Amino acid sequence: MAEGFDIDHLAKLARLSLTAEEKALYSSQLSQILGHFQALANADLPATIDDARVVDEAALRSDEPGPVLGAEAVTRIAPASRDGQISVPRVVDDES
Amino acid sequence: MSNVPSDWEVVIGLEVHVQLHTRAKVFASSPWGFGKEPNEQVDPVVLGLPGTLPVVNREAVEKAILFGLVVGAEVPERCAWDRKNYFYPDNPKNYQLTQKDFPVVVGGQVEIELPGASRNVMGEHKFIRIHHAHLEEDVGKLSHAGSGSLVDYNRAGVPLLEIVTEPDLRSSAEAEAFLRSLVAMLTQAGVADCDMEKGQLRCDCNVSVRRRGDAKLGTRTETKNLNSISSVRDTVIYETARQIRELEAGRSITQETRGWNAELARGYVLRDKEDAHDYRYFPDPDIPTLKISRDTVTRLAKQVPENLYDRQRRYVDKLGLPYTAASVLVNDRALAEWFEAAVAAHPANPSGIANLVANDLLRDLAASAGAAGAFDEAAPAPLSLASCPIKPAQLAGLVKLTDDGVISKQQAKEVFAEMFKSGKDAAAIVDAKGLRQNSDTGELEKIVQEVIADPAVAKSIAEYRAGNEKAINALKGPIMKRTQGKANPVLIDQLLRKFLA
Repeated sequence: MAEGFDIDHLAKLARLSLTAEEKALYSSQLSQILGHFQALANADLPATIDDARVVDEAALRSDEPGPVLGAEAVTRIAPASRDGQISVPRVVDDES
Repeated sequence: MSNVPSDWEVVIGLEVHVQLHTRAKVFASSPWGFGKEPNEQVDPVVLGLPGTLPVVNREAVEKAILFGLVVGAEVPERCAWDRKNYFYPDNPKNYQLTQKDFPVVVGGQVEIELPGASRNVMGEHKFIRIHHAHLEEDVGKLSHAGSGSLVDYNRAGVPLLEIVTEPDLRSSAEAEAFLRSLVAMLTQAGVADCDMEKGQLRCDCNVSVRRRGDAKLGTRTETKNLNSISSVRDTVIYETARQIRELEAGRSITQETRGWNAELARGYVLRDKEDAHDYRYFPDPDIPTLKISRDTVTRLAKQVPENLYDRQRRYVDKLGLPYTAASVLVNDRALAEWFEAAVAAHPANPSGIANLVANDLLRDLAASAGAAGAFDEAAPAPLSLASCPIKPAQLAGLVKLTDDGVISKQQAKEVFAEMFKSGKDAAAIVDAKGLRQNSDTGELEKIVQEVIADPAVAKSIAEYRAGNEKAINALKGPIMKRTQGKANPVLIDQLLRKFLA
C-alpha cells in the first residue's frame, strides 16, 4: 500500500479490476500526482475561492421550462428498458 | 409522546430535503412536476449526456437565499457546487451536483412551539439552530420489480434544498414541532410547497442517546428518507427506545444507516450502498463559483413575510386575541391576511372577527373543500380562501352589526350561514329576514313596564331585589316573546335594571 491511499480500495470505488502489475504502476503514478498536490498545499496562498472561476448572477438561467426528450428517446439510448423506464439489475435498499 | 427514562437524554438532528418551488429544474431547463409519465421530464443536461453543461436556475438560487433570510441566516458572498461521486442507478451522471464547502445558507434558527397543557394554552417556545442549507439536485426514482429495478429520471435534477439542523432537538415532540414550524415558514414565504404526499419534503433523522449530564454525545444512527412528520416522530420514539435498550443491556450502538417501515412501525438496518460514504467530493468544473450580490439580498429581504410566532405574539398582545384563535390564524398566511383585512374594515373588535374566522369560516370552508390535509395529517385541509363567498369587509360588516346591537350573537350565526351560501352583505340579509333588533327605547320601555307589572313575575322581582342577580333573567323571556325575539338584549337588560332599581 502506497502512502496516503489504498490502491485496492480506490480500484473498488472506481469499479476497476487491476492486475498486480497495474496496481504497482498506478500506485507509483498516483504517489507522484499526490506529491504535486502536497507541494501546492504547502504554498503560501490565501484561503479563498479561486477568483478566476467566479461569475455573477447574470450567468444564471431564467426559470423557463424548455423542451424535453420524451420517454421514448430516453429509453432508446438505455441498454434495456421496460414500460418507459430504464431497466437495471436489481438494486436493493428496502427492508428484505 | 415517547416515554424516555428520566436518566437518559435523546439528541436529534434533522436533515430536511425540500423541493423548491420552481418551474424548471435546478441545472437544466427541463420542466418538473408530480404525477407525469416516467421519463417524460428529462432533457440531455439531466442525463449528463456528452456535450451538455449545467447552468444554475436563478429562481432556485433566489428561493434558497429567501429561505436563509427567513431563518435569519448569513447569506455568504459566494457559493459553489461540488460533485458527490457514487455509482447507483438513481443518478444518471454517477455524481450528484451539491454544495459541500460553500453552501448558499450558513446558520440561522427556527423558532418552534411545543404543545401546551391543553389546546387553549400556549406551550414552550425554543429556537433550533440551522447549521447550513445547500442547494443540490434531486435524484431519480427507483422501483423494484422481480429480478430487476426500474428507473424514472423525472425527479432527477429537481431543485432540492437540504436544510441541516444542529443537534438541538431533545424529543419526538420537538422534532415534530420543528417540522411544523419549518413547513409553515417555507410555505408562507413561497419557498416550497412541502407537499409530503408528493415527496416534496423528505427527512433524514439522526438520533443518539446519552446519560443525562454526559457532555459527550452518544453514537448516532441515521434513519433515511422519512416522508411524513408522523414517520419522523415515530422513528425518534422507536430509535430512542431501541438505543436505550441496547445500552442498558451492556451492548453498544453501531453507527449505521437505517430505514423506516411506516406500515409495520419499525426501523431496520439498510444494506448500505457499498462504500457510500467515500464520495470523493471535488469542486464541479462545469459550474463556476457564484457571487451573490447584496442588491439581490436586499431585494429578497423585502419578500420575507412576518414570522408566524411574531405574528402570533402581535395578535395576542396587540389585538387581544385568545391564544386558541391566534394560533389557528397564523398557521396559514392567506388566512391571517384575510383576517387582517377584516380587522382593517372594523378595527374595534378583532376578537369577534377572529372567532368567526377561526371557527365558523374555517369549518364551512373545510366542509366545502371536503379534502383531508395533504402534507400534515393533523393540519386542516388546504383552504381555498380565494373562492370563499364571504369577503373580509363583509365579515367585518357582520361583526359590526352585532357590536352595534342591531342583531344578537345568536342571529349573527344565522346571518353568517346565509352569507356563506349567498355571498350577500350582512345588512342586506338582516333586512330581508327582518332580523333588525328593536332598539326603540320608547316602545321597549312600555313593554318592559307591562311585563314588570305582571303578577306572574313578582317572585322573580323580589328575588332580584333581595340580591339574586340571576333572577333578572326570568324577566327577559316574556319581553323577548312579546317582541318576537327582536328586542336588543343589551337594551332590555339596561331598562330592567333602571325600572327595578
